[in-house]
Amino acid sequence: MRVGVLALATLVAVLGATGAAARPDAAPSGLTVFAASSLTDVFPAIDKNETYSFAGSNTLATQITNGAPADIFASANTTLPAQLYAAGTVEKPVNFTRNRLVIVVPKANPKGIKGIYDLTKPGVQIDIANSAVPVGSYTLSILKNMGLTSQILANVVSQETDVRTVLTKVSLGQADAGFVYSTDAQTVPGQVTVINVPAWAQPKVTYALAVVSKSPNQATAQAFVNEVLSKAGQAKMVSYGFLPLMPTVTTPAPAKKKTSTTAKKN
Amino acid sequence: MFETLAGSAAADPLPDGDLAFARLLVGAELLAADFYTQAIAAKQFGAVTQKYLAIALQNEQAHYQSVSLILSGAGQTPAVATDFNFSYPGGSFGSRRSIATLGGKLEAVFLGAYLGAIAGIQTPALAGPLARIAASESQHLSLWETELDGRPLTGAFPAPITIEQVSDAMDAYTS
Repeated sequence: MRVGVLALATLVAVLGATGAAARPDAAPSGLTVFAASSLTDVFPAIDKNETYSFAGSNTLATQITNGAPADIFASANTTLPAQLYAAGTVEKPVNFTRNRLVIVVPKANPKGIKGIYDLTKPGVQIDIANSAVPVGSYTLSILKNMGLTSQILANVVSQETDVRTVLTKVSLGQADAGFVYSTDAQTVPGQVTVINVPAWAQPKVTYALAVVSKSPNQATAQAFVNEVLSKAGQAKMVSYGFLPLMPTVTTPAPAKKKTSTTAKKN
Repeated sequence: MFETLAGSAAADPLPDGDLAFARLLVGAELLAADFYTQAIAAKQFGAVTQKYLAIALQNEQAHYQSVSLILSGAGQTPAVATDFNFSYPGGSFGSRRSIATLGGKLEAVFLGAYLGAIAGIQTPALAGPLARIAASESQHLSLWETELDGRPLTGAFPAPITIEQVSDAMDAYTS
């Protein structure tokens, strides 16, 4: 009994030293995390002790709605978690990171694509995600933002269920170009060339996660959320190429008129 | 100006191509405002030119408000400065000449962008307000040309540039 008390005291001391939000890495906590495909590399780097299921966010949302045994839902948009929250399926979602889209072309780049406008040329074969999955929806937003919807969709030869499939097909040369998250493009540096989507046409790509309401592991699941939101978790997201959450949004206000000046050089 | 643009956007749904021009110009104005903010902060010029830079900054901010109304009138959210990372070549703000060189490059793009938009838009009601902004950008360009070589006037017919060319030019400074 005394040994047991000492062991408990030691455990408490160790836990105290690791910080309030973090959980000990020693043992799996048994959470099942349903997460967007684009989080495939970074989430296990933040917490390797959970069971992950990576797929298109829309697929995961449907599975959770149908009763799949998930504890956490991490989506590549804010819309799906908000819908599940409204339906009472998940607890209140929180935003946790941002991303941006890029174009990838095979390293050989047989069509000589240098920019997004080259995707309008006849004969270019483009792969995108379908519009139900967030990256597909973001892709369509870019095309609309640039007034290129009809020209580029005319060259789309395949639509995938998640971003990683788009990346794989382009890296294998099965398409001339595809739209993926910049973080996914970084995972195959020798196989694709990355072309930026103009900043003025980028959609706002914000990720959100939430605890599933029916999860029997509410406290542990909330601890996972806290871990992702923690300074260390956010630093890990950034190290994998994700963007930090937006600072307070402001619009430029007209500058005040200068009332007096003193001639000096000119 | 504001009412004209907003009214144009609200009366009939604008085609995607026109909204694309508006989105591009919003980005251009945010870049312009950032450039003038940094140019003023560099304090490389005397009082008179510093005053002109402040006026140019006010102009760009007013342009931003104006072209933003095209998007907001169409139910869309215009970009704000925090949506962009602005960057410039090293030393861009280190001397009067380097600032003037960059200012001349940027203003040539902005002027060409507005002239290109006027040529490319499908909604005639937008052309007038965009032309007035182009005239303002032309004044800014003249400021930098004067600073660079003392000649405020150049060609009789400044050329429009395509949306693709403007986008490529802006890529060098925005991400």
